[in-house]
Amino acid sequence: MSEHAARTAAGAGGAQNLDYRVAHLADHLAAGDLGELGVRIEIRGEAVLLTGTVPSVQCRDDILGLARAELPGTPVHCDIVAADTAVPDHAEEVE
Amino acid sequence: MIRIAAVGDIHMGPESKGLLRPAFETLPDSADVLLLAGDLTRHGTPEEARVVAREIEGLAVPVVAVLGNHDHHADCPDEVTAVLQDAGVRVLEGQATVVGSGDARIGVAGTKGFGGGFVGRCAGEFGEPVMKEFVRYSRRCADTLRTALEELEGQDCDVRIALTHFSPVPDTLAGEPPEIYPFLGSYLLAEAIDAAGADLAVHGHAHLGTEHGMTSGGVKVRNVAQPVIGRAFHVYHLAGPERATAGAPVGRVGA
Repeated sequence: MSEHAARTAAGAGGAQNLDYRVAHLADHLAAGDLGELGVRIEIRGEAVLLTGTVPSVQCRDDILGLARAELPGTPVHCDIVAADTAVPDHAEEVE
Repeated sequence: MIRIAAVGDIHMGPESKGLLRPAFETLPDSADVLLLAGDLTRHGTPEEARVVAREIEGLAVPVVAVLGNHDHHADCPDEVTAVLQDAGVRVLEGQATVVGSGDARIGVAGTKGFGGGFVGRCAGEFGEPVMKEFVRYSRRCADTLRTALEELEGQDCDVRIALTHFSPVPDTLAGEPPEIYPFLGSYLLAEAIDAAGADLAVHGHAHLGTEHGMTSGGVKVRNVAQPVIGRAFHVYHLAGPERATAGAPVGRVGA
């Protein structure tokens, strides 16, 4: 075995890097059943933080479930909120 | 005074059925028309469109909409449009409509629009066919918006509104990562709005953006994506004709 072959290539195993896994999670959130492009996924230390506003509590729970399933071993913190459907209490005078 | 209610990016699906109906039923108290700025569904399926239809069907104010990118995801935007039209929604894509409110005439020109970016940081019509088509498609959307606004000019409208899903300006994208601005809007839309003239431009799409912006020609722009406005809808008051009476009964008339 040559010395070259014995060395581990710099990128070997890189597909498991957290940044790639987060990128794939973003892809799956958008293109999968959830169709969600409005959630920001940030790497915070060894954890991942989800933020954003989604249409419903169920949607938030589905996103969190998918994130935890795709990122086993990585703590996933969730600060996603459900959209407020209240009637506005004022109008803007545009002109 | 003319009262414009608007919201975009409501992203409805079966699980969100009925969430917005209670707020929408109050619209006659506060608005003369409801504008929907696209991304009404999550995946653009007829089933999801029927959820949206039930939210707005039979409202006592006219409803005018454009579709968004989510409403195209299932590759059946015509079916989505048909479901909404059956519920009484005027769905615009490169078209204009006029709705009446008392004696006032509210003109709305709409297109989904597309991306491409903003001056100095935008895609060009160059290179691979898919890249050229990306820019050409955005240009076609902008051109139809301009034509629709110009069409309204001859229809004695008291106000003209440009309704899009993608943003015409970068101002209302503040809060989004700058790297993705070219996927959130195009200056071509703003150029069309400034060339044809409008009293207000309303869009959605940018959930992390901000509400207020302005074109270089001075047209006020409002990002009404629901995550941005934080309510079921927002209301904008525009100066109307002297003959228009605030709170007058709203008629479902117009083109």
